[in-house]
Amino acid sequence: MGKLISTTLTRALLALLIIVALGPILWTVLGAFKELRDIVTPVPKLIFEPTLDNFATILRNPTIRDGLMHSVIVVSASVLIGAVLGIPAAHTLARHARRWGDDVQFFVLSLRFMPPVAIAIPFIVIYLDLGIYDTLFGLILVYLITTISTVIWLAVPAFERVPHDIEEAAAMEGCGPAEVFWRFSLPLAAPSLFGALVFTFVLVWNELLLALTLAAQNATLPVVAASITSLGKEVPWGVINAATVLLVLPPLVFIGLLMGLLNTMVRSGPK
Amino acid sequence: MTRKRFVILSLVPAIGLLATLALVSIAGAVWFALMNRTLRSPDYDFVGAYNFLRLLRDHRFFNALEISAIWELVTVTGTLVVAVLLAVLIYETVKKPLWRNLICFAFLVPVLLPRVAAAFIWRFLYSPSLGAINYLLGLVGIGPVEFLADPSLALISVAIVDIWQWGLFFTVILLKLMETLPKDPVEAAKLDNARTWEIHAYITLPMLKGPLISLALVKAVESLRSFDLIFVMTGGGPGTATETLDLYAYQMGINMGGRISYASAMSILLLIVTTVVFTIIWKAGKKWAN
Amino acid sequence: MAHIHCTDIVKSYGAHPVISGLNLDIPNHEFVVFLGPSGCGKSTMLRMIAGLEEVTGGRIEIGGTDVTDLPPGERGVAMVFQSYALYPHMSVADNITFGLRRQGVSKADIAPRLKQVAEVLGLENFLDRRPKNLSGGQQQRVAMARAMIKTPKVFLFDEPLSNLDAKLREKLRTEIRRMHLKLKTTTIFVTHDQLEAMTIADRIVLMRDGMIEQMGTPDEIFERPASRFVADFIGTPAMNFITAQLEPGLIAHSGSIRLQLSEVEFPSLKPGQEVELGLRPARMDLCEPGSANALTGEVVLVENMGAEGQVITEVDGAEISFVTQGFRDLSIGDTVHFTIRPEHIHVFDPKTGRSLRKD
Repeated sequence: MGKLISTTLTRALLALLIIVALGPILWTVLGAFKELRDIVTPVPKLIFEPTLDNFATILRNPTIRDGLMHSVIVVSASVLIGAVLGIPAAHTLARHARRWGDDVQFFVLSLRFMPPVAIAIPFIVIYLDLGIYDTLFGLILVYLITTISTVIWLAVPAFERVPHDIEEAAAMEGCGPAEVFWRFSLPLAAPSLFGALVFTFVLVWNELLLALTLAAQNATLPVVAASITSLGKEVPWGVINAATVLLVLPPLVFIGLLMGLLNTMVRSGPK
Repeated sequence: MTRKRFVILSLVPAIGLLATLALVSIAGAVWFALMNRTLRSPDYDFVGAYNFLRLLRDHRFFNALEISAIWELVTVTGTLVVAVLLAVLIYETVKKPLWRNLICFAFLVPVLLPRVAAAFIWRFLYSPSLGAINYLLGLVGIGPVEFLADPSLALISVAIVDIWQWGLFFTVILLKLMETLPKDPVEAAKLDNARTWEIHAYITLPMLKGPLISLALVKAVESLRSFDLIFVMTGGGPGTATETLDLYAYQMGINMGGRISYASAMSILLLIVTTVVFTIIWKAGKKWAN
Repeated sequence: MAHIHCTDIVKSYGAHPVISGLNLDIPNHEFVVFLGPSGCGKSTMLRMIAGLEEVTGGRIEIGGTDVTDLPPGERGVAMVFQSYALYPHMSVADNITFGLRRQGVSKADIAPRLKQVAEVLGLENFLDRRPKNLSGGQQQRVAMARAMIKTPKVFLFDEPLSNLDAKLREKLRTEIRRMHLKLKTTTIFVTHDQLEAMTIADRIVLMRDGMIEQMGTPDEIFERPASRFVADFIGTPAMNFITAQLEPGLIAHSGSIRLQLSEVEFPSLKPGQEVELGLRPARMDLCEPGSANALTGEVVLVENMGAEGQVITEVDGAEISFVTQGFRDLSIGDTVHFTIRPEHIHVFDPKTGRSLRKD
């Protein structure tokens, strides 16, 4: 009997935890399909007539559409360049650097210690002077700090997990370092690398401060979403919810991949 | 291609670009901090340490420093405590892999949300007139509570959102780490009649000492990047109750009059403190974990 | 042809020397085993010959060509790794033929060679599989096939059998040996297992702390160890060591033990000299009390090894063991007499550890 009560209690507790984790998001999704009068009620409504008006509003709004497009361009360009530059560098750090490799890795890591505001403030003036303030190019350039360093940070362990012997066996058959990297290390590390890129994508997609500081007309989706509050007089909760859903969707698509990345990282022993 | 050429070709572009960008931003910040540059006018003069001296007399700066310190402390400890408790709870009560995976997926969702989105979601929930939390509190006769407008509650209310995102995420990581631990010591302890909590307090968690230190450090670094969350939820208010250093630097440098030099001085100080502190902690943590 | 010639090889990691001035000659067609405890430099030596590690100093020649500065792929050597190092993203056939395809050998030429090595190693039915779907022994064979198909000048094996279970290890050991008898390719085989070395080698290079302790045929290493270290490393059960004083007539004396030594083997020994005796358990056996070179001890423990048994006895407070077929009649506490022939006694300098045997 005591056992039954305790299992029931733990089940209830776990259910509550899942509600705490997912509830807020589900509530927002629900809110995105409500009309304002269904949101502004003293008693929260679970049953209502769903509407697509909110999504129509945001998708028709040119600022949000532009924001979405800017986000896609800036994020994909910076992640792509980050991958092209960061992945070979990570392989070299993991394989060909004995003494100074640790120092370089620490430098890369220490860039994550830098408060974003310490990057944003000087760059706004430099960008103004150079005339690249409020350009997508400027945004991509600062985001490269994040993408290259994150890609290296996550790809070094991915390459370290590639068995050394396999690369050496390839070298024994005459492959030079570039060929070993391209034909062996890269395909073998690919699953982990893909996870690393997704993680980097999420970081940049979610970024607000730099975009807010270094762009105005060409801002990205988070900046646009953050400024919705001031559309019109009434707080447009339904529209905000819809914009939130739009913002949340891309990272959530990759949740399975991130879970896979987590599993391999944990299994190979964290640092 | 020889080894040396491959090393240079693969490393130099990436590290060179990173070093240039980092150097430019740091050198820029130092340069501007010694000037009296504003966003409004392109003219400026050398003012030496004036900006730094003014900072020492700026109450709002010290308030921001204090808020930042409290923010770091609350979010890092909160995240770790939540993660440890939940990980142990799930490890002990959920044995079926399917259920564990489902819980892990659910717990991963919050951290993936853009900070801006999380901020909106919780601002909506916290809302005194139409938020779900106040509705639930109302059912038991409390409230409405002004979570974000009450200076004594605002910081902790925002911190809860941060812990909601990261605490659940770290729970998943810890749970996965616990699953990879060797079973023998735990089984030996069971043969010694150790209680469940004793097994975790004295065996599993100490075995995870290294990863826990790394996680604490990762969270401490990540907590420095909470600008987005605070900016959208409270904007630093009410008053300056949630104004952290990066928020203050942003307000000074960009929003109010664009006092770039003053904000640069602030970010230089912030940069020095975080770099020094984290470098020390990182190296010490690495040593200690070994 | 492919003899290997290493001159004054030095290897150090930073200030830490691993190998300091090693000279080695391996004649064509020979099967040489590098043997030694872990950290003795045997794998490093192999990897330097393969080209996977750079030498800090010295030259390496393979088949008359100086390969010291050549990349591994241009040295004409093939290597089998401890972990097999198969390419997980390629099929077995692709694994085996990768090197040839890379060199641009035509498909028409590759096919018969693949067929041949696959036949020799019994891999015909696995060619389309991925390595992860093979057993450990099959993976090992693929690794060997990959090395063989290139018809290299030298085969290098880096502890290739240590990941296999005992039975399979024995089987593959025989196969490798048989293959060498057929192909006659110069081979270097690294292992820390002395039994494996004894059974497979033409010659053993026994290494310790980056130096060659002794080089010789398995028989030489076993019967005429050059030092106490070699004597201790080779042979199971391990050799007994006793410190003794020499008396006139080449009698070694220690407590109750008096042993006649061989004058032919040790002509240089002088009375009064202190020496260390090495007695192989397998070279001793039970005897009548009062026999020549008899030792008398009390049985402490009897270990049944099947056909024979190891008897551990206490002689003058120290443990000495010997191997006998008559172990079943002994029980703990018995007094036993056992003997060793003079020519089987090894004598070492107690200070340097070198053997005092005449050259």
